Amino acid sequence: MKILVVDDFSTMRRIVRNLLVELGFSNPMIQEADDGNNALAMLKANAFDMVVTDWNMPNMTGIELLQAIRAEPKLKGLPVLMVTAENNREQIIAAAQAGVNGYIVKPFTANTLKEKLDKIFERLAASGASA
Amino acid sequence: MNAMTVPVNDSLPPEVLELLNSKDGTAFEQALDAMVRQREQHLFRALGVLARDLHGAVSRLGSDLANGGMPDSMTHARNHLAEVLEMSAQAAHRSLDFVDRIRPEAEALSNNANAVLDFNNSETDPAAVLARQAQVFASACCEGLNDMVLVQSWQDLAGQRVKKVVSFIESVESSLLELVRLTGALAGREAPVEVAKVDSQDEVDRLLSEFGF
Repeated sequence: MKILVVDDFSTMRRIVRNLLVELGFSNPMIQEADDGNNALAMLKANAFDMVVTDWNMPNMTGIELLQAIRAEPKLKGLPVLMVTAENNREQIIAAAQAGVNGYIVKPFTANTLKEKLDKIFERLAASGASA
Repeated sequence: MNAMTVPVNDSLPPEVLELLNSKDGTAFEQALDAMVRQREQHLFRALGVLARDLHGAVSRLGSDLANGGMPDSMTHARNHLAEVLEMSAQAAHRSLDFVDRIRPEAEALSNNANAVLDFNNSETDPAAVLARQAQVFASACCEGLNDMVLVQSWQDLAGQRVKKVVSFIESVESSLLELVRLTGALAGREAPVEVAKVDSQDEVDRLLSEFGF
């Protein structure tokens, strides 16, 4: 499974990558982008199976990236997990309305990440089976 | 309408009470005018002091800007914060490097201990006892390393706050610049008007003295 990790802080990208590898995802299949603009270009150029993105980033924020993904016919079905320090109600609602698949507030634990990923894949499997 | 029927306050100065009760309308109006003028003068004097302080502060800021950009302390504060951000990122990466280095060793120790136990699972044999201890240590080590990775997210959270402070300082800087530019522009616009309207230096001084200069 090919995953794109998007965060402007290199430490956070490394932490998320580390946790994903611990959860059993393949390290070479994980790629990184430091803002929404670069992420979108990578998503358009290569096929990914999932995006894990921060909210607060320069140039293009995580919510703008999510909206751009949902607006792009080729990408609109891509699962997007938001991992962010933004914890106010309006922002969480905005992410939900924009079609986010999961929302994790930093700081988080490996268990939380696992739980949300499992939930995303369960839902995808269910929608795939019913389709 | 109501004001006409408000009872006269006993705490007013006796001369005011006397005027209020007198039938001499002109004297009453004159006294009232004098009171209002006195209050206005207090207000203008306070405004004058405020204007002079603001003028002084903006002039100092303007000369600081002319002498070398923003006041040093503000530039330093921003640089210090950028350094904090950089140092904290380096520290977090070093911790993550350490995890990357130790984790494979812990996993190898666990695998080796398992291999020994597959071969010899005795309760009393020192080699098997040591292998079991090594296995417990290796798994505790891996768990601790995972926690250590997660704990490094402080750098991201602290860094985001530092970035917010940096952008706040930047906005203060640009607001100050705007203030200096604006007050400079106002002074430039008003100067010719003052020259045209005031006839003598005495009048200028009198006018300024009313504003606390």
